[in-house]
Parts: sequence; structure tokens; C-alpha cells
Amino acid sequence: MFEKNPLSPHLQIYKWHLSMILSITHRIIGIVNSVAMILICLWTISLLFGEENYEIIKILFQSFFGKLLITSLSWSFSFHILSEIRHLIWDLGYGFDLKISKITGVITIIGSMVLTIIIYLFGKNII
Amino acid sequence: MHYSTKKWLVIKLSSIILIPLMFWFIVNLASIYDESYAEIVFFFSKSSSKALYSLFLIAAFSFFSLTISEVFEDYINDEKIKNVATKMLYVFAIVMPIITISSILSLN
Repeated sequence: MFEKNPLSPHLQIYKWHLSMILSITHRIIGIVNSVAMILICLWTISLLFGEENYEIIKILFQSFFGKLLITSLSWSFSFHILSEIRHLIWDLGYGFDLKISKITGVITIIGSMVLTIIIYLFGKNII
Repeated sequence: MHYSTKKWLVIKLSSIILIPLMFWFIVNLASIYDESYAEIVFFFSKSSSKALYSLFLIAAFSFFSLTISEVFEDYINDEKIKNVATKMLYVFAIVMPIITISSILSLN
């Protein structure tokens, strides 16, 4: 019986719309953030190996790739925060109306970009 | 209470705890990531950082392990493979934060 359980619908069947894009992005970002958490743990553990061994990681972080990595992580965390708040509001029984759902979806996308900039500027003591 | 209801409640509870901790961590990470080894060790040596970072790891690994088990539920059809993958995921989600928290607790 269990072997005949239907899997999630195939993505290519339906016409793409905002809620669908956000739902898929939410799931992908969840997986990306899970991998990021493992890398964050490894980065923390690497501190135990002393200053000399940390030099490689420091050079990586000070490079363009390092800045891109942190900016990408800031965006994926920002998106996750806003998307989770959207889901929590749904759990409370609000925001199911199609128009409201579209508005909160747009807020999640634009808000995640704005929040990324704020986090970066705040982190660098620019604001 | 049904197992699925309990799981849903834990996901939502860890999500509520995770949101402010995620914000705290990413702001601090953006501020220290390219700093010297001494600066980063100094940050993790503070009692407040140790406490908040430990809480962040526990909430994050609880949340992500439960939500990824949902992905397994959706995309793995074979029950045996699904059970093994889920159990391995849960063990990893317990071991990884323990090792990381132990490592920051030993930083001075």
C-alpha cells in the first residue's frame, strides 16, 4: 500500500505562479541553509586547530568569493526568516486570501533583499 | 497526541526560537567573518555568544532535521530507505551540534 503512495506533483505539469515559486524556493533554501549550518559548524570547529591553520580560511573569507559567500548566506537566512514568519501567520489562520498571499509573497522576496543589505551594512558598522 | 501533530508542534516551536537567533547570528557573522583569528576567538569566548550560539545550533539542527525528514517523506518512496535515511539524519542532527558546542566551550 505504502509503495503506491503518490509523491509530490511534478513541477512541469502546472503553470508557474508566485505562490508556487515561493514554496519551491522555501524548500530549496531550507536544504541550502541546512548545508550552510554544517559549514558553519566546521568553521567553528576549525578554530580549535590554531591561528596558523586558520590562515587559509581567513584568506578565503577576505577574498571576493568569501564576501559573495557571506552575502549569499545573508540572503538565504533573510529569505528563510521572512518566509517562516509568513508560514507562522498562515498557521495562525491569517493571510490565506489570494490577494494578501500575493502581497506577502512579494514582501518576502523584496524584504529578503532589503534585509540582506541591512544585515551587511549593520554587520560592517556602516549603519 | 498523534506523532505527526507532535512533530508539527516541534517544527513550529523550533521555528519561533530560530528566527531571532538566526538574525542575531547572521548580523554577527557579517561583522566578524573576515576579522583576525584572535577577534573571532574573542567573539566566541564571550559567555553571551557561547549561550546564544549553542541555542542557535540546537534550534537550527532541530528545525532542519525535522523539515528535511519531510522532504524524505515526500520524495523517498521505499519505506526501508526512508526510515534509515531519517534515523541517520536525526543522529547527525544530535552529534554535529554536540561536537560544535563542545568546541566553542573549550575556546578561551
